[in-house]
Amino acid sequence: MPVIEAIHVLAGATVFGTILIVDLRLLGFPDTRRPVTRVCSEMLRITWIAFAVSLTAGALMFSANAHTYVGNTAFRLKMLALLGAGVNMALFHAFTFRNVKAWDQNAPAPLAARIAGATSILIWVCVIFLARWIGFTKGFDFKIPVNTHINFQF
Amino acid sequence: MSRVSPRAAAALAAAVAAALIALPARAHHSFGSYNMAVTRVVTGVVTRVNPDANHLQIFFAPMQENRKNVLRDDQGNPVIWAVEMGGSAQMAREGVSVDSFPPGTIFSIGLHPLRTSNAVGTRGPSGAIYKCPWRKPPEPGKNCDSVPGSIEIGTGGLLKPTG
Repeated sequence: MPVIEAIHVLAGATVFGTILIVDLRLLGFPDTRRPVTRVCSEMLRITWIAFAVSLTAGALMFSANAHTYVGNTAFRLKMLALLGAGVNMALFHAFTFRNVKAWDQNAPAPLAARIAGATSILIWVCVIFLARWIGFTKGFDFKIPVNTHINFQF
Repeated sequence: MSRVSPRAAAALAAAVAAALIALPARAHHSFGSYNMAVTRVVTGVVTRVNPDANHLQIFFAPMQENRKNVLRDDQGNPVIWAVEMGGSAQMAREGVSVDSFPPGTIFSIGLHPLRTSNAVGTRGPSGAIYKCPWRKPPEPGKNCDSVPGSIEIGTGGLLKPTG
């Protein structure tokens, strides 16, 4: 349904936008005056709400055409990219973020944090590209067997 | 802690509300992958309806000219074609859905074939679809619009075949 798609796209844009703000802060843009912890606490709660909305809408879209999506390479790569984004985020919060007090404000983030931020941006751009590419590539699925109960003789 | 201004919040709320209540546009992105200069009118038997959000797809077995059977390949299996049309929600409102077009439904449609395959086409921006009464195919060489009791979906009748 167009409404479900619109919600999926709007929520996805919110996820990317809020994550991008966090990632850019890790990279030192526009500066390091704003505490990393504050940026994270302000942005990531919006991220999670938007992600839940996007996931729900995406699941509804998937359920209408599951067989085709599962067989679509762009869809599979998108799921892989989302997994990569999750792993990147988990590693960042499990290790690098632990000593955030040392670089919370007015100090450049450590290399590991900057790599996590740059990787996150790269992965989420890939997610968006792949998500759009699904629409161009899922096409017609002729592999589903024909229902054997249909009587084709008249 | 910085707060969102009331004006920004109102603008965001208005944008979300507009997106949610917007009527789906009937305009379509490019039909560039289809040969719109060619129109084929086919009558076939539905094998499956794929209610894809963006484009509902009907998979079907085209009928032979005698309308007694469907086209078959060398192994005797039905040849399967597919046609796509508007989004599933829009098509459901017009009367085309998984429920209204169950396997075995006979229907006629004018379609524009894909540039790379004759077995796939699009309904395009116009033209009606006709659904025959259950198990009542048209006379040889004719289409569902000639069958008493058939249902017309859309307006303008069947497209005129070309090419």
